[in-house]
Amino acid sequence: MKRAIELHINGDTYELLVSPNYTLLEVLRDKLGLMGTKRGCDLGACGACTVLLDGEACLSCLMLAVDAMGKQVLTIEGLSEGGDLHPLQRAFVEKGALQCGFCTPGMILTAKAILDEEPHPTEEVIKKKMAGNLCRCTGYKKVVEALMSVTDSPGKEE
Amino acid sequence: MRLPKFEYFEPKDLKEALSILQNEPAAKILAGGTDLLVNMKHRVECPPVLVNIKRIADLNYMRRDNGDVRIGALTPLKRLQAESLIVENFPGLAQAASAVGSYHHQVMGTLAGNICQQNRCMYFNQSKWWRSSRPTCYKAGGEICHVVNKKEICYSAYCGDIAPALMVINAKIALEGPDGSKEMPIEDFFSGDGKAPLVKEPGEILTEIIIPKASADGISTYIKFANRDSIDFPIVGTALWASEKEKQYRVAFTAVDRKPLRGKQVEDFLSGKQLSVQNVKAASDLAAKEARPVKTSVYSPSHKRRMMGLLLQNAVNETKRRSA
Repeated sequence: MKRAIELHINGDTYELLVSPNYTLLEVLRDKLGLMGTKRGCDLGACGACTVLLDGEACLSCLMLAVDAMGKQVLTIEGLSEGGDLHPLQRAFVEKGALQCGFCTPGMILTAKAILDEEPHPTEEVIKKKMAGNLCRCTGYKKVVEALMSVTDSPGKEE
Repeated sequence: MRLPKFEYFEPKDLKEALSILQNEPAAKILAGGTDLLVNMKHRVECPPVLVNIKRIADLNYMRRDNGDVRIGALTPLKRLQAESLIVENFPGLAQAASAVGSYHHQVMGTLAGNICQQNRCMYFNQSKWWRSSRPTCYKAGGEICHVVNKKEICYSAYCGDIAPALMVINAKIALEGPDGSKEMPIEDFFSGDGKAPLVKEPGEILTEIIIPKASADGISTYIKFANRDSIDFPIVGTALWASEKEKQYRVAFTAVDRKPLRGKQVEDFLSGKQLSVQNVKAASDLAAKEARPVKTSVYSPSHKRRMMGLLLQNAVNETKRRSA
């Protein structure tokens, strides 16, 4: 039986009628047209579907949409403000940390969660926490460089 | 991949959850969802009812109680690595939590959810399409176990990281059920039956993990051997608790049998002895005899046996490094 739910996504409130077996990813993409959140493995292994739930990095393919009720959801569409790219988005562009871009929304949102929690992580911490976001074309070196460039961590490039 | 249809409940307190579970014996409990929802997408678990217990308040906590440490079932794995109460007293548990899946799984996954995860097997953890090329395995609802080619038996392996780390620190679990609450050592919670790996009645909920005060007197370590540093389940995982002063040791292994195992032979051999190079070498030879791994993954049983001993040596080295 469908349920009436209210989702808070990127500062907007949506009233929806969804079946409990819909994941948050399916609602974002198929019902709301927010295609920035990517469907990769759909099994919680690749990180492409990462969104922030109350600031925490969550896999939207393993989250029931009904379970996201009452939480603040942030997708890649809600990250930039007033047309200006978020510093992490700028860093990814400047460092060339993407090629096809499929993994990038998940990468950037995981990076945001990491840096919001720990503004000055070491390179090792970044590598460990970002390891759940898979990239099949650029590789990871430039992603780590992009993250390091927006922190004040030791080892930051000038 | 759409999830199969199910009836959904969001109880607000434990009493409501227990009454739903009593009326719906085939229901499954949903916590972090990182194990159950994957299995549901693969159609190897299709519960008609899901009971989401995350709306129950007061199941995410860590507190001292007469020196013992009590941890709520819904405590996220991420929190176990961050709290000094755990990191300082039971570092092996913090290590195990940081070894689970990826950062996302540690954010979403809960302590009790990790303990209650399904056993794994290369013939079970596959999509419906992959599995359609051979008869359905016993665990997924068929008759045969493809690992041993026998009927009505399941050799799937328990692959959780947290359980061995809790076993070596003598943790107990608390269950709430229709007949009230009960506690049991975590070792007794695993049946050794691959098809139904947990000793839990359908109407029961794991609510709390209790770690005795005395376990803080030794050094605990968890070492995971996996293909990659992230995402993977262990090929073998080894937990060690060592009190070098008392010369007492506890060892546990995961991913090598149908349940997580205590290494009793290793413990008996090392008891009262120093962790000398010869003793540890002899103990690591014994470690290989503690379990009966079968080919539930691409890694051979002999490789797993060998790694059990080597990981034990690594765990001893880490214990020595920490105590130095």
